[in-house]
Amino acid sequence: MTNDVIKEAVAKQQSTDRKLSTDNSVLGKVMTFYIGDQIYGIEIQYVTEIIEMQHITKVPHVPPYIKGIINVRSKVVPIVDIRTRFGKEEIPYTNRTCTIILSYNDISVGIIVDSVADVEDIHSHDISATPENRSVNTNSFIQYMIRSGDDVKLILDVGKLLDDEG
Amino acid sequence: MAKIEPGMEAMLDMYFYETNSLLEQLDEILLRTEQANSFDSEDIKEIFRIMHTIKGSSAMMGFENLSVLAHKAEDMFFVIRENPDVITDVSFVYDLVFQVSDSYKAQIENIQNNVGGEYEAIDFSELIDKLLKARDVLLGETKGEAAPAASAPAAGAPAAEAAPAADNKTTVRVFFEDGCQMENLRAFLLINTIKEACSFLEYTPADVETNSETAKEIIDKGFLITFIPHDSVDEVLKAIESALNVQSYEIVSQPVAAPAEEAAKMELPPEPSAAAPVAASPAPAAAPVSVASPAAKEQTAVEKAQAAVDKAQAASGSQKQSLISVNLAKLDALHDIVGEIITTESMVISNPDLEGLELESFNKAARQLRKLTSELQDTVMSIRMVPLAGVFQKMNRIVRDMRKKLGKEVDFVIEGEETEVDKSIVDSLQDPLMHLVRNCMDHGIEEHASDRTAAGKPEKGTLKLTAQNASGEVVITVSDDGAGIDPEKIMNKARKQGILTKPESEYTEKEIQNLILLPGFSTNEQVTEFSGRGVGMDVVKANVEKCGGTIIVDSKKGVGTNFIIKIPLTLAIIDGMEITVGDLVFTVPIATIRESFKAESSQILRDTQNNEMIMIRGVCYPILRMHEKFGIDTEITDLEDGILLLVETDNKSVCIFADKLIGEQQVVVKPFPAYLTKYNIKGEGLSGCTIMGDGSISLIIDTNTLIG
Repeated sequence: MTNDVIKEAVAKQQSTDRKLSTDNSVLGKVMTFYIGDQIYGIEIQYVTEIIEMQHITKVPHVPPYIKGIINVRSKVVPIVDIRTRFGKEEIPYTNRTCTIILSYNDISVGIIVDSVADVEDIHSHDISATPENRSVNTNSFIQYMIRSGDDVKLILDVGKLLDDEG
Repeated sequence: MAKIEPGMEAMLDMYFYETNSLLEQLDEILLRTEQANSFDSEDIKEIFRIMHTIKGSSAMMGFENLSVLAHKAEDMFFVIRENPDVITDVSFVYDLVFQVSDSYKAQIENIQNNVGGEYEAIDFSELIDKLLKARDVLLGETKGEAAPAASAPAAGAPAAEAAPAADNKTTVRVFFEDGCQMENLRAFLLINTIKEACSFLEYTPADVETNSETAKEIIDKGFLITFIPHDSVDEVLKAIESALNVQSYEIVSQPVAAPAEEAAKMELPPEPSAAAPVAASPAPAAAPVSVASPAAKEQTAVEKAQAAVDKAQAASGSQKQSLISVNLAKLDALHDIVGEIITTESMVISNPDLEGLELESFNKAARQLRKLTSELQDTVMSIRMVPLAGVFQKMNRIVRDMRKKLGKEVDFVIEGEETEVDKSIVDSLQDPLMHLVRNCMDHGIEEHASDRTAAGKPEKGTLKLTAQNASGEVVITVSDDGAGIDPEKIMNKARKQGILTKPESEYTEKEIQNLILLPGFSTNEQVTEFSGRGVGMDVVKANVEKCGGTIIVDSKKGVGTNFIIKIPLTLAIIDGMEITVGDLVFTVPIATIRESFKAESSQILRDTQNNEMIMIRGVCYPILRMHEKFGIDTEITDLEDGILLLVETDNKSVCIFADKLIGEQQVVVKPFPAYLTKYNIKGEGLSGCTIMGDGSISLIIDTNTLIG
């Protein structure tokens, strides 16, 4: 989703009373996953596939969050551990641990997540902007949030995630 | 600003390809003839033909300015063609035609860069004026001359001698390849091609040259050519057969009173098959008509026809062959697939399930498969290999221009232009070579001839461009016999630029010379048109390294400078030795391995900094522990437990210490994923990775950066 669409959705909510507004359109889909107790999401168009954990070949001279490279059907794909990327402590990989292969601007990268949750629609009603306070490390990777009930899902900005030096 | 006509876009690619190759051909002819300082009629006709084709196709594509320009150039050559003697002082003609060629290239590049959008139509009016003037000058000279008009020009001359009986006419219907487009121009080219060999020539539709509508007619009904050959019908048919884009032809009518020899051959095919289309390219032996002549005769006929068709090729010895043009992306895809096949083959043949089984017939089949795949790989590789001739010829042009501009007398020598390298390498070599040649011309060769004679060298400088194959590498050398590199000057400059990294006294002469390859280094005080902006040499280095090569400067003050570029023949598949370090597998290119051995404690030495070294046959080599270099956990840290590999590149050697050897394997080199390019992996001893038989990934060692 472009930033404009998000801004528009956020602006609408601020200007009108949410409950009165009937315009609750579906803007797209996100794939959600867990890191610890927090649910994160990635817009579905960036997701190529989800694969099980496999042996990762380490590569020297890269930041610690890049775990190495794997072979995905004869393509060499680098693997980023989201936990380490967000500065959280590493936990041992379990059989719930998954690798999500993302594709962005022709760059393929796999990210390691604790477990995959669901694929769900994004309703324009549920979108809200991230808090202004960007001092927390992970916030810089979050494009917007989705609230449904009491849950808050943080939707990652794939471009930042893959491009930034961090 | 102008826009490409809608509907023409599909043809653009072909137009670019064709026009560019024609322009290259033109440059080549011009350079060759300029050296010989005379046009012969063949060359003039060839140039005329090139201009004409460009004019036609440009007009068709709607590039009016290009078409007009070509038309004027053609006009000028028309005068020359009609009266080959007019050109007494030809230098201005060359300059003009080179200008035309350059303007063309500039405009085409402009269009090429703006496909789908608007391109800028360059105004050629000035150049056209010049061409007109040149034509007038030439015309003036013509009128001034007395006789030559009477003696009919080249094309007509031989016609009169060999006018055989009228019923000797052969009529042929030619069909062009489906979708080859611009059929009318192709037909016209064909006519031009066989014109030489015929004493009589007639064709329908007759206005192919000017009327693009005829293309449709040709597609529907074919292109009818009626001719009387000078020598044999065969020869002309051969020429037609081998002409570009001709799909098939059929003989409509044949000479009644064919010569005895011809008639004998005609007996074989009965009436109906004579009219049957003859496939143009496949084995002529199978073709029913006169093509079924003895092999030897055929050979000479082909050769003769070939010689007539493109004299330019024969004369310059360049390796250009207009056989088939394939989209490079398709070749890349094919290449990738072959890589996959080789990987998969290893997966099957060394499958762990087969371990310990006696499989005689399987092994036999596997060997056969391996042989075939390696043949397949070689063939695919060879498809991608192109001779360096094209790039070298372009240098010729640069030297020519600089010679004129700088007023330096220089002989340009090209050797080994037939050396073949991977297409992708050729493309990325052009810029570095251009820089080097310019540098040699600008800085290398002395300013004044007197400087040269004073140094005891011939007045004329020599610039040499050579290429040769040497053990899996192509070595390209650009050398001049100019002033050479003055180490002191380099040192001064380097000091000023602050690019020295160690005390001055520690620099060897070689190191000093190679300083000029560093970014921001340019000794030329003045920025000239050709070089001296301080970018250049480092760009050269970067470009060469991008295609996996190395560049060394070797110069002697007062004697000359050599730039030596070494480039791997192909990048994609290498023979590697697999070694393990901890749980990682590395691939070391076999070409760099001298030997592998177990170390004995008695061989190991330590210097004052506690660096480990090993003594082998009286020579001392440093030891590089892979697990330390790449930060890998391994249990094998004692030199005597692991294995040592002595590797060498560029006369630098080092002993790599690894856990153990796994074995030899052919691997397909894959670059690191784009995401990782921002990290300096490549600079730290790894050149890429490869997928092994069991699907795991091995990292490929780059001995060059590992040692460096």
